[in-house]
Amino acid sequence: MKLPDNRGYFGEFGGKFVPETISYCLEEVERVYHKQKKSKVFKKELDFYLKEYAGRPTLLYYAENLSKYLGMKVYLKREDLLHTGAHKINNALGQGLLAKAMGKKRIIAETGAGQHGVAVATVCSLLGFKCDIFMGQEDIERQSMNVFRMKVLGAKVIPVTTGSCTLKDACNEAFRDWVTNVSDTHYLLGSCLGPHPYPLIVRDFQSVIGKEARVQILKKERRLPDYLVACVGGGSNAIGLFYPFYKDKKVKLIGVEAAGFGLQSYNAATLVKGKIGVFQGTMSYVLQDSQGQIKNAHSIAPGLDYPGVGPEHSFYKDTKRAVYGTVTDKEAIEGFKMLSELEGIIPALESSHAIAYLRKLSKKAKNRLVLVCLSGRGDKDLDIVRQAQISADTKKRR
Amino acid sequence: MRLKEKFNQLKKKGKKAFIAYIPFGFPDIKSTKGICLALQEAGADIIEVGIPFSDPLADGPIIQQATTVALNKGATISMIFEAMEKLKKSLKIPVMLMSYYNPILQFGRERFFGRMKKAGIGAVTIVDLPVEESLEYKKTAEKFDIDTIFFVTPVTPSKRISKIAKASRGFIYYVSVTGITGPRDFNYSSLKKHIDILKKKTSLPVCVGFGIHTKKQVKVISSFSDGVIVGSEIVSFIAANHSKNDFLKKLKKQILSLKGDG
Repeated sequence: MKLPDNRGYFGEFGGKFVPETISYCLEEVERVYHKQKKSKVFKKELDFYLKEYAGRPTLLYYAENLSKYLGMKVYLKREDLLHTGAHKINNALGQGLLAKAMGKKRIIAETGAGQHGVAVATVCSLLGFKCDIFMGQEDIERQSMNVFRMKVLGAKVIPVTTGSCTLKDACNEAFRDWVTNVSDTHYLLGSCLGPHPYPLIVRDFQSVIGKEARVQILKKERRLPDYLVACVGGGSNAIGLFYPFYKDKKVKLIGVEAAGFGLQSYNAATLVKGKIGVFQGTMSYVLQDSQGQIKNAHSIAPGLDYPGVGPEHSFYKDTKRAVYGTVTDKEAIEGFKMLSELEGIIPALESSHAIAYLRKLSKKAKNRLVLVCLSGRGDKDLDIVRQAQISADTKKRR
Repeated sequence: MRLKEKFNQLKKKGKKAFIAYIPFGFPDIKSTKGICLALQEAGADIIEVGIPFSDPLADGPIIQQATTVALNKGATISMIFEAMEKLKKSLKIPVMLMSYYNPILQFGRERFFGRMKKAGIGAVTIVDLPVEESLEYKKTAEKFDIDTIFFVTPVTPSKRISKIAKASRGFIYYVSVTGITGPRDFNYSSLKKHIDILKKKTSLPVCVGFGIHTKKQVKVISSFSDGVIVGSEIVSFIAANHSKNDFLKKLKKQILSLKGDG
């Protein structure tokens, strides 16, 4: 079976649920992508930038202290060591070169925390595109340093003041801009979300994570891992790790969603708590109310704070190829500290969800071989963690 | 009344359709009924009622803000049907619904079309359901004899136009611009060219929407199409005037003026 099929479906998930004008935009992206995918020149150019500019291949690091502490053998796929500090650059470079092949002059993107925005602004500066980044007003206030980073890189950050003023609204606004300016503009979507062909394109560009990891673990351990663990917001680092292991049925895949304040409260656990629906162009699990209105998500990790999820993950869930667990804000901070203290590696709060889940996994997976995607570094989150620490201390004193 | 009957009636009189769009539940749930009746009295030929959605991808700020208000007031699909069932006797002109797909999907397709029929609503258009994804939906609509209206845009390739024309019933909604809803200026000759091409491919009426907000635009665009859909202009008028005295009277006057009858 081909995943996705020609209509962009992973089983019953995916598709192209978009206004008629966007259908046209998508057809162009799809046509050029399929052509470039086969092109040796395109591949060579992308490989060049991934290696010489972004810093691939990334290390697969045996986390000995963490392994001893948890009683499992844990390897970390170090996407945090990439230029700009997260896996987002893999996709931004790929789609940047795609936009060049399409002859576009301008790139737009949505961003929540600013990580994808920074990656896109970086690539636009490198490849010479005009760059406009849509960001919710609320996120702009929370992530002022990343806003400044994007500006330093020459991008314009456009505040979005509609709806909930967060990532999903930034996404809507990027689509609205795209239909208006499609002739010279490419929309560089940041996760394996949205209408076909985006889930396919982003997965393909992120699959470099899993391809490298597979070769590296075979070299180091002479066998495949028992478990792969990765955090899931939209799900691009997870699908990038999982996909090259899809056919290795013995390798168990675990995606970790953000339980936020808890599964009965505000969270971003779309696969665990959502219902199937159509949101931002794709049929997938969605956090929604009984009327089909999209709910606001919550996670302490800005990159997981989204009420939708990539359709391929919905397919993995329903076909039981992967299982999806959750980690609360509080547990994620414990994971953040655990890795920082044991290994001297400060993980992004998103990746901290995957790390924190290892504690739960260690109870049933003693001595097993586990490979975790460390999707980003945590410098950007130090302020959030410090604030959380302060409010926790105040509570204790009371 | 059904769309087909309405367009035949207009054709006999040598007139074009004036389709008025309003989001349900704006400025509040109760006001929709009165607004619908006022639109009818002012001579609107068809009323398009929008189902509010939290993430209206194809809409500009005017309609976005109105739907946010409607959702905050608690507007639901069931309320629309309740209101429309009550209006069934007094509304003589066709009513159609406009929605994004997810609210309908969650309401249930069968249940949705069943309730439409009961409320005397004969047509629906879904913004984010392109013809390729519409197979099941079309089947259910046909079962309940509901007209499905699809969109054609300035960038829709010729082959696709034929596919869309085949799937449409009632009329074809021509989106005047590559962009979102909200006031615009037009290049009439290019618009006319596109409409002429489209009309060669279909026997259905072709109505033009998105961006139309002046009396002149209504007049000129009606002259080379079968009708116009006016949305944002009416919504912003409602937003600005709903709390004033004689609001409905003012609204009627505004519609008459847009139609060129006032």
